[in-house]
Amino acid sequence: MSATAMAAIAGNTLRESVRNKIAYALLFFAIVMIGSGAIVSSLSYVESNRILQDVGLAAIRLFGVALAIFVGIQIVHREVERRTVYTILSKPISRAQFVLGKFAGLTLTIWLQAACMGVAFAGVSLVSGAPLAWQHLAFGLLVGVELALVVALATLFSSFTTPMLAAFFTTGFWAVGQLTRELRDLGAASGQPALKLVTALAFRVLPDLQSFDLATEAAHGLPLTASDVLLPLAYGFGYTTLVLLVAVAIFERRDFR
Amino acid sequence: MKRRDVAVSVEGVVKDFRPGFGLRVRRVLHGLSFHVGRGEVFGFVGPNGAGKTTTLKVLMGLVRPTAGRASILGVDVGQTESRRHVGFLPENPYFSELLSGRELLHFHARLANVPASARARRVDTLLDWVGLRAAADARLRTYSKGMQQRVGIAQALVHDPDVIFLDEPMSGLDPIGRKEIRDLILRLRSEGKTVFMNTHILSDVELLCDRVAILVAGRIRYEGAPHELLEGTERETDVVAARVAPETVVALEERCGARLRGHGEQLEIRVKEKSLQELLAMLLAARAEVISVTPQRDSLEQIFLSAVEGKR
Repeated sequence: MSATAMAAIAGNTLRESVRNKIAYALLFFAIVMIGSGAIVSSLSYVESNRILQDVGLAAIRLFGVALAIFVGIQIVHREVERRTVYTILSKPISRAQFVLGKFAGLTLTIWLQAACMGVAFAGVSLVSGAPLAWQHLAFGLLVGVELALVVALATLFSSFTTPMLAAFFTTGFWAVGQLTRELRDLGAASGQPALKLVTALAFRVLPDLQSFDLATEAAHGLPLTASDVLLPLAYGFGYTTLVLLVAVAIFERRDFR
Repeated sequence: MKRRDVAVSVEGVVKDFRPGFGLRVRRVLHGLSFHVGRGEVFGFVGPNGAGKTTTLKVLMGLVRPTAGRASILGVDVGQTESRRHVGFLPENPYFSELLSGRELLHFHARLANVPASARARRVDTLLDWVGLRAAADARLRTYSKGMQQRVGIAQALVHDPDVIFLDEPMSGLDPIGRKEIRDLILRLRSEGKTVFMNTHILSDVELLCDRVAILVAGRIRYEGAPHELLEGTERETDVVAARVAPETVVALEERCGARLRGHGEQLEIRVKEKSLQELLAMLLAARAEVISVTPQRDSLEQIFLSAVEGKR
């Protein structure tokens, strides 16, 4: 598989996304929310730094996911709908290269925007005197992996359905991904073998996105072990790879009518 | 045609589509077979919905054939490698509005593995060819339809391909734009390139194509050189004359089989090509004024219409 073609598609996707002004609106609101953490925290007499960081880290994660879904759901669909994919696939590149190149370009875009939010967060924290520690870096790393996974899901759904449905499915997967542990525990506690089996299966199949959320550890300066970071990292990498394999398999079978 | 002389080969290609989610299948291509020789300009002609674009999409790997096989320069179209030496201009091409013309060509040059050292020169050459040098750095959203078409042609040629597929290349172009595209196709032919062109415009087919296939409802009705298709058909000529005496009119009808229509003081006469000389001689002998002689150029169109109507 030629890396040049994939790099060309990724680079082009990045360039187009960076020039898409609509995405900047979300980024703007994210930075406003991070900044507003300073105002909210100033109203509190206790743990103002923790409130500032809770708001900021939540803003990075939520707006990052919103950006990933917003841009990601259109990523493949728009190329097919506007028929720009015709001239691209008429070159000696495979459909897998196309899908993976689009995914890489969009993930880079989202990471870039998340980095902007991170810089804004660090700036607000430093000005407000809130401490920054290596837990914040771990949080950023895992948010990056989670965003890549959300982009992969958006790419998958965008490869065979409309942006509206892709948004619905991706948001649904992300929301359920926040609850899969509770679902599993609920099933286990129910005492019903069938429900236990179903919830255990759902836990295995659906993404477990809670493991990527280190916001509490970062905001409170709680200790982290290497496995708290490495296991979600490996899980995210594996799950993203699987989702992309399915996306490629679906895209390979498509007819562009 | 020897195997090595074949640029495009289509053998028994069938394509079924399933509209909606039902089990019903709609067959668009019915066992299509034809070959295009290297260096040929091949015209693929047919009415809307005949399956021309679907055939092109099969060749570009955008649509998978239900049965049969197709190859370009001997490589099956299912393989990415088949598009190594291929350029493609889709009908009404559309490109990302957020890129400039130059950026778009650089992007496609990278996709086509044009070496980095040659890329900038090749892009500049193509921008000159298609007359977009001045607008090269403007965003594509500012391009007119004709400019979009020209940048589309440039991206198809950016890697100097051997086989070029054009889907309705004259679509939406003004007369000047159409002439430029015609000149470009003639230039490609003179360079030994193979050009496969989907078109509705039969005058272009007559002018440009070495061979033509007429596709109707997913089946090829005709395949051959335009002059071969025209063999056996009688061309007609329109003559406009004035001051034609009534007895001459009768003689023209009886001896030349001419069809006449009065138009003020002028007489419009349609006559078969073989009777033209005799008709002109009679008009001149009768001291009539011959205003114009216009050969009918719609013979291919007549063949096309006959094929579409299933008469031939």
